[in-house]
Amino acid sequence: MTQQQEQLSAFMDGEAQDNDIIDVIKQDAELRAKWQRYHVIRSGLRKEASVAPQVDITASVAAALENEPTIMAPKKSRWSKVPVLGSVVPFARQTGQYAVAASVAAAFILGYQQFNQPELPNEPFMTAPTNPQGGMAPVSLQQTRTLPRNDMEVMLEKKRKVNALIADHEQQVKIKQAEEQSEEAKQNNQPESQP
Amino acid sequence: MNLCSNVPATSGLVRLFSGTRKCLLVGAMICALPAMGQESSAQPDVIYTEEDKLNQSDQGESDAHSSAAADDEAPTTTGDWLERLTQATQNLNFQVTFVQSRAGQETVPYLWRHAVDKNGQSLEQLNLQNGPGRELIRVGSVVSIFEPDVPPYSLRSDYINGPIPSELLYHPDALRKGYEFVSVGRARVAGRPAQQIRIVSRDNSRFNYQLWLDEKTGMLLKLNMLDLQGALLEQIQVTSLTITDAPHAYFQRVNQASLPKPMAISPSKTRDHAWEVTYLPTGMHEVRRDIRRLALTGQVVEYKMFSDGLVDVSVYVQPAADALGSDLVLRHNLNTFLTLTDGKAQVTVVGEIPPKTAESIATSLSLTGDTE
Repeated sequence: MTQQQEQLSAFMDGEAQDNDIIDVIKQDAELRAKWQRYHVIRSGLRKEASVAPQVDITASVAAALENEPTIMAPKKSRWSKVPVLGSVVPFARQTGQYAVAASVAAAFILGYQQFNQPELPNEPFMTAPTNPQGGMAPVSLQQTRTLPRNDMEVMLEKKRKVNALIADHEQQVKIKQAEEQSEEAKQNNQPESQP
Repeated sequence: MNLCSNVPATSGLVRLFSGTRKCLLVGAMICALPAMGQESSAQPDVIYTEEDKLNQSDQGESDAHSSAAADDEAPTTTGDWLERLTQATQNLNFQVTFVQSRAGQETVPYLWRHAVDKNGQSLEQLNLQNGPGRELIRVGSVVSIFEPDVPPYSLRSDYINGPIPSELLYHPDALRKGYEFVSVGRARVAGRPAQQIRIVSRDNSRFNYQLWLDEKTGMLLKLNMLDLQGALLEQIQVTSLTITDAPHAYFQRVNQASLPKPMAISPSKTRDHAWEVTYLPTGMHEVRRDIRRLALTGQVVEYKMFSDGLVDVSVYVQPAADALGSDLVLRHNLNTFLTLTDGKAQVTVVGEIPPKTAESIATSLSLTGDTE
């Protein structure tokens, strides 16, 4: 018995010396049960358990297969004979379809967000590599490297100066439009007021 | 399904899931699409969205407008279409809702109304629909601006400056120096037959645009701004368009006497610089130059602005001593920001142009011998 057990575990690990053990397992019900338990334990240890340990479906599947061949169309389940439940069960199946549809929609939204992310600037400014565009040096803090503590301040100061220029540009655009239009409006008003 | 219908409660539930009227409508729209392509503009409204149904009474009235316009002659060239756009935005009584979206930013909805009152005076309203809002009202040639945290004020102007470039709406011909207008063909936008026009810079140095105009009225339905690779930078999409015979009731409620008086803006003085920009994209010209301090940092800058009608470009020159200390290219919203330092001077170019164009402008700066 212990020898058979050793052979069984060796066989499971793929280290069996010969194939006699297969025949032994086939014939011995107790060994077959052990064979199954070992597998459940192993897959449980590997966290890949897909079968609950106490559920043995092999026997029921075999029995079902034996009774099967003559049936061409599935029988109506017993549930459908009960009036209300009979309608609810197909409805429940339908909701399954909606769940699939909803999960597809969710996946789409996720995908969309991921697709958009690279374009989202995390900061107000995105630095673009300047080298490909011509002989400009990329953004660099070479001059201040010797004083790494000042890096942050230098960066902030830089940002402040950049912001000042951009804000000024935006303000100038507004002023320009207002000025141009007020001049135009004056010119347009004069001929209108004459007649 | 047969089983379901035996039981009233569940069949009702199932019906709830099995598609609303809207789905059917969408289906009908899809079916109608191919038919649309073959028909000429003679057939006005094959398709009704739900919105259209609500506005059907207005649509009937607007037919009168369009048939009157069609009597003149059907527009064929891009020039004719843009002329119709200008006419429509200046003469029709309309209410338009549109959204503005930019890559990586939230969509901003607007309400835009225009009317011509009994005296022939043009009235216009632009309202930012989200948040505390921003309301601009134009009565004739005075625009009043109501913003949160700022006392209301008025400016003299013949049009409201909104997200849609006013040069495109009112002086499209002025853009022809720098841009080419190419007719693309028919399309369908906001549930209406539309004409698509591409606006391409003549020297490929600026961003490109795609424009969709309503076939019936010439109103703007959609405007895309694309970078040189064809990626979408900004989109303006009309979501509803209503044209009526009578001005919208909103304009009767505007108490014209209570609007603020227009401020006088004195044109800024021009100051001469010792430098000039020798390269400019086709159609761009200088619109202002001066020397002043930046509001945020107090730095003194020499400043020039260039414009082609659709985009404005600023060029700043500062002493390198109080400059950034390195060359830099950034994107801020649609603006390209480019800084180059050359010896004693730092040159900065800001504007809605591709980085390559900004670099060409920055490197083209040269000293003028005669001033200094």
